[in-house]
Amino acid sequence: MNVSVSRNSSHSEPRSLLAGVLAVLVHLIFVAMLIFGLNWKDHPPEGMVVDIWTELPQPTREPVKTVPSKQEPKPVQEPVKPKTEPPKPEPPQSELPPEPVKSEPPKPAAPQKAVTTPPVKKPDIALKQKPEPIKEEKPDLQEQKKKEQEKVKEQEKLKELEKQKELEKKKELEKQKELEKKKALEKQKELEKQKELDKQKELEKQKELQKQKEKEQAIQRQREQEAKAQREAEAQRAAQQAAARNLVTNEVSKYKALILAKIRSRIVMPPDLPGNPVAEFNVTLLPGGDILDVRLSKSSGHAAFDSAVERAIFLSKPLPLPPDPALFGEFRNLNIKVHYRE
Amino acid sequence: MSTTVTQDMSFLHLISSASLLVQLVMLILVMISLLSWWFIFRKLFVIRNEIKKTDEFEDVFWRGVDLNALYQRTTSSRYASGSLERIFAAGFSEFNKHPSGTDLDAVMESTRRAMRATYQREMDYLESHLSFLATVGSVSPYVGLLGTVWGIMNSFRSLSSMTQATIAHVAPGIAEALIATAMGLFAAIPAVVAYNRYASDTDQLATRFESFMEELSNVLQRRAAE
Repeated sequence: MNVSVSRNSSHSEPRSLLAGVLAVLVHLIFVAMLIFGLNWKDHPPEGMVVDIWTELPQPTREPVKTVPSKQEPKPVQEPVKPKTEPPKPEPPQSELPPEPVKSEPPKPAAPQKAVTTPPVKKPDIALKQKPEPIKEEKPDLQEQKKKEQEKVKEQEKLKELEKQKELEKKKELEKQKELEKKKALEKQKELEKQKELDKQKELEKQKELQKQKEKEQAIQRQREQEAKAQREAEAQRAAQQAAARNLVTNEVSKYKALILAKIRSRIVMPPDLPGNPVAEFNVTLLPGGDILDVRLSKSSGHAAFDSAVERAIFLSKPLPLPPDPALFGEFRNLNIKVHYRE
Repeated sequence: MSTTVTQDMSFLHLISSASLLVQLVMLILVMISLLSWWFIFRKLFVIRNEIKKTDEFEDVFWRGVDLNALYQRTTSSRYASGSLERIFAAGFSEFNKHPSGTDLDAVMESTRRAMRATYQREMDYLESHLSFLATVGSVSPYVGLLGTVWGIMNSFRSLSSMTQATIAHVAPGIAEALIATAMGLFAAIPAVVAYNRYASDTDQLATRFESFMEELSNVLQRRAAE
């Protein structure tokens, strides 16, 4: 009783649920490792684009790379650089014209300003300074003198103003002229650029044409070479095949003769047969020279001779065969003709 | 002519694109692996617990506690007893059942039988599921290999129908087939390791139980002779 009671109470396993949870956890970790460990292959492999060229790229590319690198910089870049660089300073000039204008004609402008500013300022000072002493000494004469002086001054001012205006007009004209000149220059430059571009395009076209021609020539050369190589290879193959055939036929005939000689040496000739009877046998061989089967295909008419030849064939095994196993096909079914007299 | 080869080689894609039998094999292997890991952890807890209990009980026993008191403590339901305690309880109760006048040899014989019976049951309990771990360890690589061979067969069969055969045509099939082998090995290796470990642990416990049985029968015999 005690035993059974204790047994029933004992085998309640501790923490079997925890074991199950741990087992699942282990697998989750493993799966996560697999997923994140194998995802490095998720990106499609780069550089798997394969271009298959029908012609070899080397002869066509070499001239393309070397020739243009020498040609292009000389005709194209040399003219481009000096003429492409000047247009860059031009647009800022057109956008900001006063800066170059002032910097270019500073000599005429500076005296003008010197001329214009003093008359404007001096009369004011003169008007304020001079009237004071004049009023004290002689009012009438001074007034007349003043008026005259003022008239003179006004005339001078007018003259100066006229001069200024003329100068301004001249400046404007000069500016206009300069602008026109610049515009003309720009147009000329643009035309030159276009011409250069046209020239470049033409050069490029010519180069492309040259490249195409070179490619075509290379392809033609390749084809010719390939054709030559093919012809040579065919000739070689034909020669080799002929040689092989010769060898094979030589070998076959040599070993057939050897077989016949061996058989002949084993024949115990029956004496005194009339004429030169011929016995023909079909012999089936195994690789290695063993005889599988001997059949009389054409009797000589003399049973003694036929049986003597058959015995000799069996006696002469193993028959001599060429060492090359590829030639055995020629010997599998042998047709042997044995003459009574040689 | 240009060919772009873009194969999705992610793990989930490989599994989902595998053939039915390979997927079946993978499913079986995953279940086997789950079960075997469950048993591994269960047996780990059971055997560790058993070793701990055995240590404790031997410690208490050899300290010279009164056997009757020990028996009372062991059979009380509050005390979660170990195998060795149950063996002791079985032997001691059998020893006490006999009236004092009976033949000592017969009493000792029946006591030993009772202890041996309990010992057998306890060993049976400790060694349960170990054979499952051994089976998983030896069989699941072959199951995985079956899936792999089948997958590779299929991928080569599909290769035969192509005029231009490249490695890119076979590679995904072989990769997905090899996952089956990986799963089989994943199930097998821990199972084998755990089996060997637990087998040696249970062997050690068995020798401890047996020697304790011998010693207890000596103690009881001496007690009866007194």
